[in-house]
Amino acid sequence: MGSRLQQGVLLSFLVILSGCGINNIPTYEESAKAAWSQVLNQYKRRADLVPNLVSTVKAYATHERETLEAVMKARSNATSTQIPADILNNPAAFQQFQQSQNQLSGALSRLLAVVENYPNLKANENFLSLQSQLEGTENRIAVARRDYIQAVQRYNTELRTFPGRIWAFILYRSALPMQNFTQPEDVEKTPEVKF
Amino acid sequence: MMKPGNFFLIFWAFLGAQFLGAQAEISLSGRIVDDAHLLSPVQYSELEKYLADYESKTSNQIVVVTLKSLEGKNIEEYALELGRRWGIGTKEKNNGVLVLIALEERSVRIEVAYGLEDILTDAQAKIIIERNILPYFRRGEMGEGIIQGVHTIVATLGGEEQELRSSDDEQVSNWSFLLFIIAMIFILFIRSSSGRGPRPPRSGGIFGGGDGRSSSGGFSGGGGSFGGGGASGKW
Repeated sequence: MGSRLQQGVLLSFLVILSGCGINNIPTYEESAKAAWSQVLNQYKRRADLVPNLVSTVKAYATHERETLEAVMKARSNATSTQIPADILNNPAAFQQFQQSQNQLSGALSRLLAVVENYPNLKANENFLSLQSQLEGTENRIAVARRDYIQAVQRYNTELRTFPGRIWAFILYRSALPMQNFTQPEDVEKTPEVKF
Repeated sequence: MMKPGNFFLIFWAFLGAQFLGAQAEISLSGRIVDDAHLLSPVQYSELEKYLADYESKTSNQIVVVTLKSLEGKNIEEYALELGRRWGIGTKEKNNGVLVLIALEERSVRIEVAYGLEDILTDAQAKIIIERNILPYFRRGEMGEGIIQGVHTIVATLGGEEQELRSSDDEQVSNWSFLLFIIAMIFILFIRSSSGRGPRPPRSGGIFGGGDGRSSSGGFSGGGGSFGGGGASGKW
């Protein structure tokens, strides 16, 4: 009988604790990490599209060597940088990651602008397919980034405000605030490609 | 420590506020939300039946929304928000598709949930918009464009995916007292974590899932989640 009572007390104690958000920090941390892996996925997906896109454009747009090279260079920059395991708590690494991805975004949007001058290319099925995949991927990137920004905001806020701050102090000392994207609005927007 | 009573008061007030906020916007009144009145009554009922049949066969959920205006948002954002808020598609399979048409902006978007992204790719969605929808819209045949578009989406998704899920029998076990308490705690966890802020997105097989609120019309999303897949076009 005694153990029943004890159990009951323990359980109701747990209920109260969960109401107080004792689990919020690890929960939010996990969801921020999940959001981050989605960001990485989408950036990878974009990088995977680039070689095909470049080779298709190359066949038609013979005078755009520089633009194409800039895209390839930005891509190799973005993909060759090793992502350290602690990137989310490491401002310098995070900054660098963001920068290299932005460079690729910039180079790609210049490429798509240049393509406007090549009607034959724009009529090419293969190119149209690649272009729509790229558009779709840019949109996914924007979505993944937004989700990540929100998840990190929630997590960081929980760490810094009551009662999360107390839980962090008592139980989760290793939980550190995460880096978030800082970005001018215009890069956030999905590039609009007209047909 | 906060008194639990206070906490729950605040918590419920918060939930209430959230619910009211969602109510103010467009609601999922059926498989077709024809706010811009682009479909004739006949087209509407035929399409609705077609979509319902398709869902009962495959569990893929397609929802068509027409709007007068996006009110300043871009169509990608708007479609994602609707798809997630309504939780189109089932939570397990994330197999929803949202077709959004905005009259004033003359834009169309096909938004594809996670589970169907590989079958209805961005490129395919783009082709459907360009070939099967926009030509009609440009001639002013809005209803026909929507119907052709939906039919092509269905053709692309295919109908073989039929799946009779044998219900895993959920037995009521005898040590129910403990289970009940555990369930209560679990529910509390979920509630208190979903009450604030957005749900996390899916990653590596874990589904974020929207909160599919039931609607008054007896039709509701199943909690499917979206990640920005699909394509858009303008006429």
